[in-house]
Formats: sequence, structure tokens, C-alpha cells
Amino acid sequence: MVGLNSLFKLFRKTFAPKVEDRGFLPRLYYLHRALEALDEDDIDAAVRMITLAGLDKKKGPRWRMVCQQIIFRCRVLISLHQKQMDQINTELEIFGKTEDLRNLYLRLQEVENKARDILKNYELQLLEQLSESTASVVQPS
Amino acid sequence: MIQERNLSIPGGLTGAVLGVAAELALEELTGMEVVSGLLAVIGAGFGLIRIDRRIYEATVNLVKRVPVERNSDYRDVLEQIDEMSIELPELRESFVKLIRAGIEAQSA
Repeated sequence: MVGLNSLFKLFRKTFAPKVEDRGFLPRLYYLHRALEALDEDDIDAAVRMITLAGLDKKKGPRWRMVCQQIIFRCRVLISLHQKQMDQINTELEIFGKTEDLRNLYLRLQEVENKARDILKNYELQLLEQLSESTASVVQPS
Repeated sequence: MIQERNLSIPGGLTGAVLGVAAELALEELTGMEVVSGLLAVIGAGFGLIRIDRRIYEATVNLVKRVPVERNSDYRDVLEQIDEMSIELPELRESFVKLIRAGIEAQSA
């Protein structure tokens, strides 16, 4: 069993990342990768992996759970970016008298806005996938 | 004292042949590939146990990483978690279980 485990680990580290985007690896592999990415706050990779895990339309309870975890983390990060935005706005009013500082704050604002929009997009995308899976549970074909 | 092991190559080969013969006989009788079927079931079982443990760890991590302000108490944190888990029924249920377990552990 230990040998088999090492073999799987070797596969996951060497061969699997090269072919994972094609979506033909087992669903558990993609769920593991999504959780790894979530731990590292790599939301882009987490969304990609959970989407690949749900490609075969059989979105089971484990898929739903991991999907909801990613959405939750997106919301936490969005709230953090919102707080940063509020902080920047406050500082802009107090310290943004000179043009240099004002431009710096405006650039920061832009970056924060962009990050928030990206996360919002991910959240909406996953909520849509989640509602599809709910619909398939409610109305079995 | 370490005992010396005597490995018998003919013995090993006989065992392997008997194993293959038994598998073929079972396949013939039942019409199913027993060994590969068993391996698949065992593999899937291990995989599912591992993923369930990982999902649980990730849920705990999510709660731990909710930002907490210095002057906020546990009610604020609960409210924050509640707001952020709207439309996420299974996750919300897991959070409730985690929090209940935490309260029970504290009162014990």
C-alpha cells in the first residue's frame, strides 16, 4: 500500500499537472487539487479544478461541498478587499493633497477594485454551477 | 536475534500460478473480474476516506481564516460566517456542527 501511495504521489507531481487541464483524470484528483489551491489562496486554480471535477455532470455531495468552500473563501477575500478600499478612501481624503500621493492612492484603488471584480466573477461562476447541480438533484432525469 | 529468511523461488512461482488459477476459476464461475474489482473497491474506499478527511480539514481552515477584528466578540464572528454562507447550505451545516462541537468541548 505504501508503494502504491508513493507511485500515486510521483504521478501527481510529475505527469498529472501536464495533462490535468484536459479533464480526463479522476474526479477525486481534481477535488484534491482544488483543496490544495484553496489552502494556498490560489482561487483561479481552485475554480479551474472544481470546474474540471464537475465536467461529467455528476456533481455529488463532495463536489458541492468543495465548491461551497471556494465560494465562501471568495466572499471572505472580497470583504477583505472591500475593507482595504475603505481604508484607501479614508487615507485619500486625509493625505491625498499632493498629486503624487493622490495618483498613488488612485492606482491602489484600481488594483483593489480589479481584485474584487475578479473574485466576484469567480463567485458568480461557481454559484451558477452550484445551482445547476441543485437543479439536477431536485429534478432527476 | 535476526532470523535468516529462506526465500523459495519455485514456491513463489507456485503461489503466483495458484493465485492466477484461483482468479480465473472465480472469473469463470461468477463472470466477474474479482481481483481487479476488489482492487478498484479498495482503491476507491481509500480515496474517499482521504478526500473526506481533506474536506473536513479545509472546513476547519476556512473558519480559522475568517478575519477577526480585535474588539469583536464571537457573536460578530458568527454573524459574519452566517452572512457569508448564504446559499451554501451544506457548508453552513458543517459550520454549525463544528461550532456546536467546539461549545460542547468547552463546556465539558
